[in-house]
Parts: sequence; structure tokens; C-alpha cells
Amino acid sequence: MRNALNVCVLQKDDSHLRLLIQGVDVAFVNSLRRIIIAEVPCMAIDEVMVIENSSVLHDEILAHRLGLIPLTTDLDNYKLPEECSCKSDLGCKLCRVSLILDVEAGDKMMIVYSGDLKSDDPNVIPVSNRIPIVKLAPRQKVKLEIYARLSRGKDHAKWQPVSMCAYKYLPRINIDEGKCDGCGKCINICPKRILIKANSVVSVQRVLDCTLCQDCVKACPKKPPAIQVKWNENSFVFSFESTGALPVERIAFEAFKILDKRLEGLLNSLAAAERAEEVEGVGS
Amino acid sequence: MLMIIPIRCFTCGKLIGDKWEEYVKRKEAGEDPKRILDDMGLTRYCCRRMLLSHVEIIDEVLEFYKEASKRKIKSE
Repeated sequence: MRNALNVCVLQKDDSHLRLLIQGVDVAFVNSLRRIIIAEVPCMAIDEVMVIENSSVLHDEILAHRLGLIPLTTDLDNYKLPEECSCKSDLGCKLCRVSLILDVEAGDKMMIVYSGDLKSDDPNVIPVSNRIPIVKLAPRQKVKLEIYARLSRGKDHAKWQPVSMCAYKYLPRINIDEGKCDGCGKCINICPKRILIKANSVVSVQRVLDCTLCQDCVKACPKKPPAIQVKWNENSFVFSFESTGALPVERIAFEAFKILDKRLEGLLNSLAAAERAEEVEGVGS
Repeated sequence: MLMIIPIRCFTCGKLIGDKWEEYVKRKEAGEDPKRILDDMGLTRYCCRRMLLSHVEIIDEVLEFYKEASKRKIKSE
């Protein structure tokens, strides 16, 4: 049943990517999903020094809100702190970006936006300038020194480059035209409305939208049912949605790179174990 | 606890903070929330409830500070 690996793009825009991956097994696509969620690094605010905060939000809440702001990530010019040569808790220019937030309300109320953050690096800025951070009453002031770092989703959800990453089997719907009498019960029950009536027989449109819920099969009055919903064990519809921190194709690319490195590590340790066994065998 | 619109959706982590102001503006203009949310690309119900159920309390809290700052100026 296994055919060669084949990937094609079903849908792509600034934040979404939908792929059809054929010729692989669940273990592969699931590892890809888990790597995208937990291993692909991205930039997020990690440390906040509060110099002054007279706003109504507590320091901790302010810091938490800042941490959740997605920042555009420059993976080529920054290193993960644990892999950086500086080995310091504070970080250096290669593994840390500093930002400043210094705002004071005048005589009127004001809203502090993510656009008010001043970054040292023009490549690492908030994804959107219109995220409200806090609202200030007249003469309230917020002055913060902020550090952003690269890290991974497994450390904190703020470092996840995606807000959605999921896959499903490629649906395959068969309708027995000899048995189907066009009663329409399956058409009405389908939550995705993918079945239509054509020439008194039911036919399928937009197969990819099928959620494999089997409601249409259960609704069919014929025994056995005239409609069958099956799926292809080696084909997957894989989709994810970027938070804006990284472009979608870069996320996929990095995920493959990490998976490659992991598998290489596994092979190396297997080879090492084999060698150790041989040495032991010679010794005894 | 929710004084001000959260930055991200609690469940999936999608950025929703920057959509609140547009949402309020369009809702006040009489538009159907369903249409606004669809327009802004909030397809999952986790993200939709973030905006639908949010009550911005911080404005009411700020009223007290506004008064306080007025009195402070007067007494000075």
C-alpha cells in the first residue's frame, strides 16, 4: 500500500498552510506536529524589569501580557540561550533582544499599544502594533526594561510558533449508485454540507472538508448503507496556523530540520550501543 | 480578573488582542457579531468566545484614578 512520499500544498496564505502529505504513516506526521508545537523555536519576551509602574495592572500581569505578544523572529541571527557561547544568565547580543517601554499619560486617558515598544533590533518587533497592553489614567506611568529570547514551545506556550497544528486522514467517500435512492437523509445530516444531490443520486463536493464523523453512514436507511466513509491510511491533510512569529514555510522547514537532527542522533546512539556491545563481547 | 482584553486566545493561543477595538467599533455600528468575527478570520469557537464574552472593566476602574488625579491637582 505504501507509495513514495508526495507533498502538495492545498492552501497557503500569510498565516495558514494546508498540505496533502501522501506515502507516510501516522508516526511521521504526528512527530512533525509535535515538533512544530514543541520544538520549533521562536522569539518572545521573557524578562521584564519594572522601573516604574503606576498603572492599574500589577507588575506580574503586565509582564505576563508582554510575554504573550508574538514577536517577529529572526532565526538566522539569534541563537537559543543554551546553545549560545556567552553561557550567561543575562544573555548577550547573539541570544537576547532588549526592548524598552516608556510611556506616561498626559492630562487624558491613554492606551499603551504594542507599537509603543521600542526594540533594539528592527527585525524583532511585535507582530501587530495595535495590541492594547494597558490603559493609563491621567499622569500614570509605565517604564520597563524588557528582554526577549528564543526558546521552544515545550518551555512555555508563548514560544509556540503556531496557534493551531493538526492533521487528519485523507477522506474517501464511496456512494453505491445502485443502492442509493436519493432520499437525502445523508445530505441533511452532514455538518460540513459536503453532499449534494445530482440526478437523483447523492454525490460529493469538497471531500477534504469531511471530518469522518460517519453521521451520513448512520443516517442511511439502506442496510448495509449505500454510502461509505473511509480514509486512506497513508495520506494526510496536515494544516497549521502561524501566530505571525515565523512565516509558515519557515516553520515547516525548521520542523523537518529538527526531525532530521533527532533521527541522526538516534542512529548515532544506536551505532554507539552496537559498538559497545561488540567491545564487551571481545572482552569476555 | 479580566480587566482588559487578553492578548491571546486562552485555548489555542491565537492573537486576539489587536482585534478587540475593531470588533467593538463595528459592533457599535450595528453589525452582526457573526459577520465581524468571520471577517476577522476567527474561525474556531475558542477564539470567537474570547471577543464575544469579554467585558472591558478597566475603563470603569480608571474612572477612580481619573477623579483622584483631579483632586490631587486641586489640592496642590
